[in-house]
Amino acid sequence: MSTKYRVIAGISAACGLLLAASGAAHAEVEPGGWSSESPGFKVQERGCGQVDNLTFTLTCSTASGDQRAERRYDTYTGGTHQFEGYFRVTSMGGTRISLKQTFNDTDGDAGPYFMLAVERGGRLYAVHGGDTLSNAGTVGATVRVNTVHEVGEEHRTYINGSLKHTVDSPGGSFYDKFGAYRTSSGNGPATVVWSNVKFWRK
Amino acid sequence: MSGSVRALAAAVLAVAGLSGVSGCATPDAPREPRTGTVLTVTRVSPLDAKLSWHGKAPGAAGRIVEFATEPRGPWTILTYAPLSQTTYQHPDLLPETHFYYRLRPYYGPASRPVDVTLPKGSFTKAEQRAEHDWAPPRTIRRAGVRTGPARRPAATPTDLRAKIMHANGIRFTWTDHAEGERGYLLEDRPRGGGSFRPVAVLDPDINSFGLITLPNEKRASYRVRPVTYGERSNIARLTTGERPAGRG
Repeated sequence: MSTKYRVIAGISAACGLLLAASGAAHAEVEPGGWSSESPGFKVQERGCGQVDNLTFTLTCSTASGDQRAERRYDTYTGGTHQFEGYFRVTSMGGTRISLKQTFNDTDGDAGPYFMLAVERGGRLYAVHGGDTLSNAGTVGATVRVNTVHEVGEEHRTYINGSLKHTVDSPGGSFYDKFGAYRTSSGNGPATVVWSNVKFWRK
Repeated sequence: MSGSVRALAAAVLAVAGLSGVSGCATPDAPREPRTGTVLTVTRVSPLDAKLSWHGKAPGAAGRIVEFATEPRGPWTILTYAPLSQTTYQHPDLLPETHFYYRLRPYYGPASRPVDVTLPKGSFTKAEQRAEHDWAPPRTIRRAGVRTGPARRPAATPTDLRAKIMHANGIRFTWTDHAEGERGYLLEDRPRGGGSFRPVAVLDPDINSFGLITLPNEKRASYRVRPVTYGERSNIARLTTGERPAGRG
């Protein structure tokens, strides 16, 4: 092997090691110390909501009552929790549909604490406060969502890798939900497909 | 290995490791294209990335800009960039995280546009209650349609029609002439707007779709195109810095 090719081979090998090591250390996002976890979940179908594995459908345009198709994950208390998932709105004849929620499960304060929703046309927004997070929710487009929840401190939402929303967090108990959920001012029909859902904690 | 060659190798590795910008090809990265798109990424602040690229993509409709946080993906499209665009800012990134970027040109002939003017107003209560069976993407089978490879003029969609369903809804139908397309883009250009942009990304063979419009789309031009992807660029990498204290 010539000197030139030895150098190229050496650089390639070193690059490979660097990438392999970095990939292993940073499969998750934000600084290290995370542990992967697999919380349990229950499937919730209400009204015209239908769940088929990771496909969540509201089949009706009913603008009242419970219309939801979701996975409700186990409650956590304290610590820092990270959610990652990819959603694709494959059809949306309706208006405003919630996609992902961080739900407060604390006695006396129970209720949706953070709700990410999509509005017809693709605007992603926070239901509480109405802040626009992104216009990436176009029908057919795959969108990546990361939420980082420091219980008692802060809840951060990243859309396609960029920080789009921050809200103070109370202490207590919470859980993650995702799927398709009629907001109080919205209605279906809609179909949302989720993929590559992961959880970490530290 | 000579001392000078070792020094060169060490310098390359030091730059790759310390600058936050990698010259390393990832395991699944192609060799740098000779005539395609060459991508670089720089950290313009601890949490902000700027992508720059050059190169030619003859006949392409534009380029998709993709990112991942693991070298093999999954990849997420950040934007559909027109051919004239050569930079992209990716701001407020996840801290202390590796980001991987790549570009791919996309091809496919666009249909002739149709102009649509919607009635004034928004959804009525009756329309909100109505079933929108016409809206989901679907394939309407048609016999005897001539087809061609998705990049070729013969794949140009024909008979694009826009049926106004209500004040915020349009049902589009067209004839699919494409073979081997990766999907379809429905693009619009609102009246007074600059260039066409994708408003829906549809699966292959779809030729019917109902768009629910935005307030600024009361008057707009629409067109559809089948898409395929070309040779991807090199993969460029950076590592973000720490989250500044007090920042979000």
